[in-house]
Amino acid sequence: MFRINFTINNKGYTVDVDEALRLVDLLRDKFQLTGTKEGCAEGECGACTVIMDGRTVQSCLVMAFQADGSNITTIEGLEREDGLHPIQRAFLDAGAVQCGFCTPGMVLSSKALLDKNSNPSREEIREGLSGNLCRCTGYNKIVDAVALASKYLKEEESDGASENSRK
Amino acid sequence: MEPLKIVGNREIRVDGMAKVTGKAIYPQDIFLENALYGYTVRSTKVHAKIEVDIKKAEEIEGVVKILTHKDVTGMNAHGVLFKDQEVFCSQKVRRIGDPIAFVIAKSQKVAKEASKMVEIKYTELPAVFDPVEAMKEDAPIIHDTTNIRYYYKCRKGNVEEAFKKCDVIVEREYKTSMVEHAFLQTESGVSYVDKEGVINVCAATQYPHFDQLEVAEGLGVNKEQVRIINPAVGGAFGGREDITLQIHLALGAYLLKKPIRMTYSREESFYAHAKRHPIVMKYKTGADKNGKLIAMEATLIGDTGAYASWAINVMRKAGVHATGPYEIQNVAIDSYSVYTNNPYCGAMRGFGATQVPVASEQQMDIIAEKLGISPIEIRLRNCFKVGSKTATGQLLNESVPLKKCIEEVQNKLF
Amino acid sequence: MIRQCITPSTLEAVLNILDEEGKDVELIAGGTDLVIDIRNEKFKKSKLLNIAKFKLLKFININEDKTSIGSGTKFTDIVENGEVEKLFLGLWKACKSVGAPQIRNMGTIGGNICNGSPAADSVPPLLALDANLIMISKDKERVIPLREFYLDKGRVDRREDELLYAIKFNTLKRNEGIAFEKLGLRKALAISRISCSIYIQLEKNDYIKNIRIATGALGKYPQREVELECMLKNQEISTGLLNTVSKHMSHIVEQRLKGRSSMHFKRSAISGLFIKTCKDAVEEAKKNV
Repeated sequence: MFRINFTINNKGYTVDVDEALRLVDLLRDKFQLTGTKEGCAEGECGACTVIMDGRTVQSCLVMAFQADGSNITTIEGLEREDGLHPIQRAFLDAGAVQCGFCTPGMVLSSKALLDKNSNPSREEIREGLSGNLCRCTGYNKIVDAVALASKYLKEEESDGASENSRK
Repeated sequence: MEPLKIVGNREIRVDGMAKVTGKAIYPQDIFLENALYGYTVRSTKVHAKIEVDIKKAEEIEGVVKILTHKDVTGMNAHGVLFKDQEVFCSQKVRRIGDPIAFVIAKSQKVAKEASKMVEIKYTELPAVFDPVEAMKEDAPIIHDTTNIRYYYKCRKGNVEEAFKKCDVIVEREYKTSMVEHAFLQTESGVSYVDKEGVINVCAATQYPHFDQLEVAEGLGVNKEQVRIINPAVGGAFGGREDITLQIHLALGAYLLKKPIRMTYSREESFYAHAKRHPIVMKYKTGADKNGKLIAMEATLIGDTGAYASWAINVMRKAGVHATGPYEIQNVAIDSYSVYTNNPYCGAMRGFGATQVPVASEQQMDIIAEKLGISPIEIRLRNCFKVGSKTATGQLLNESVPLKKCIEEVQNKLF
Repeated sequence: MIRQCITPSTLEAVLNILDEEGKDVELIAGGTDLVIDIRNEKFKKSKLLNIAKFKLLKFININEDKTSIGSGTKFTDIVENGEVEKLFLGLWKACKSVGAPQIRNMGTIGGNICNGSPAADSVPPLLALDANLIMISKDKERVIPLREFYLDKGRVDRREDELLYAIKFNTLKRNEGIAFEKLGLRKALAISRISCSIYIQLEKNDYIKNIRIATGALGKYPQREVELECMLKNQEISTGLLNTVSKHMSHIVEQRLKGRSSMHFKRSAISGLFIKTCKDAVEEAKKNV
């Protein structure tokens, strides 16, 4: 057993993990954070994507002990107290959800992309999501959703700014 | 008229909220207390008689039970059209990946380890992988009598006479490949017997009502004693129309009265479900010098692999669509589904209608090239319109906007 | 079966462990290949030595003469480094073509080199740059040219007590450029079917003063194509010359991959890929003034 300290969705944990355990198993089996999906177990499909220290990783390619000391965001950590994250809202509004198995990974890859680049071109969106597969062939709408999310986030920022100036 | 509430409006899908938040429950997201774990032992040979010995595996600590064909309480057979698949192979295996035994253990790790200890003695039989070879009389027989599972015949006009009148005849052979659905969510399920004695199977499926029947038959119980629960399904595309793990799980839960769960790895998923039929397509198409199609002859040989699944529907549809969307007065189509020792084939997006355009459309291009007319022009001259009759005699009496569609494409392309 | 996982707090401790039990431990940095092996029960050693978090192994130093990259540098860090993009476009492109964003966020350049894969994306440009590897062990430092590092498919000249510390090569100067091209089965996440990287040094615009050509996935490991280099060195660049050399390249590939099903495809594909890479390298060299 190997003891690790890490943060999941802003909450700190100390757990003992089996040396051979992968991050995806830790999240799903131990923490029951089942929004993280496993599709291929070899880093091809991106369904198990989570954000680790600000960057996306495929949790099927990360050993649990490698998460020691890190800060992890899963799909469950995206929702806000007052409802959906703008990216989640955009996926709904754009019709970017079909079977839904790729959706959590897609949303998290979109978040990592938009955190870095708030106004990506369609080409940049495609590149940013290139590690996430959708077998329902819903890519166009997913790209639409990320573009829409970028708009929502900007609106939110300007709303926030005007609210602050009013104060 | 009052404005419509749904049609013409963009509706948010009912399961959308659950899916964008990660809360949607797929079978692998269900954790039942004290659930046992199942693992399937599969054949590693393409065609062989088998003898199974589970003694060593049973002795491993943590193994609860190992199911084989001897444990099947009902009918050891299933299949959407023909009951040609066994729940567990009893005498012989017909492909790599055929289920032979099902290890039920206290953990996934133990189940998987124990599965390696199940001893299978194979006596290999001659095998066949090419559907054309499999049709020959001396080919190894995969099921009972002949490997030709289905034959579809379509005749219109007089092909022989019509070819004599053609200015150009193109004869070619085409082959498509086997295709895997690769839905993102691999097969997974849980099964348990509830207080009322009902056997519940929760698995992502395309056919809950049909699964109910097949599970009941496999277990030898009334249909009412089986409940199929269909949670969120992570893609299917036809690949979840056949039984995979449903009967295995149900049988385990029924015999042990304990919940059982399992999830296939991607590799096992590849073994477990049907594929798209590869089809060998021999085409002979003739036209006059103006590019008007006069005659077409097609032989379609679909490889359905070790089991039939939806082979009949697939190869019938391939036959029906063999002309493509073009009017031809003289047509002869022969379409076959043939057993081989390959992975089995069944439903996948398009059901046979997807494969034939590979041949029929290339024939059009080649004829156009030979006659020196454009690929667009030859299609416009022959395409279905209102009033056309298909090769099967169907009168198309409304809404055939193909010509308009081709013209739109032409306008956008050139 | 993994029985133990060790995460030492100092590099010294890592080297001590390698010194004492090097043959029983496997180093894990990004782990993007190793984790798959572990899951598929292909991993035979019992101990993992975790070096993922060593800041000492993560650096990109570009000096006037020499450039060195720490073995633990993640591909994303290389891709996000504007200097690398400006000076070593071919290397930058190769790093950008590794896997997908998620893989580049974990995978390290050192892992890519030490894994010994014939299709490792970052290796052909490093070969074309004539890079050296700095291997460190408890009491020694060993410098080995990258081109001598590959022994066989999946086998590299890393001794059991050694750790790849850094990759070092000359900083490109005026009239020098490097290019990289790869063919994969799809745009992202594709393992190279073939790749090619070319370093070129020009004189008087079109005269090739020096050239180094490296290919990936055309043999047991990425390799230099010295025969071609000789054909091009000290020559005036021209379409005719490139065509002749690319034909010869096809011939070499045909001989090398004889009996393999991929030979026909690779034989044809390499010639176009070679010409494209060469033209890109010339363009880069002309840009770096």
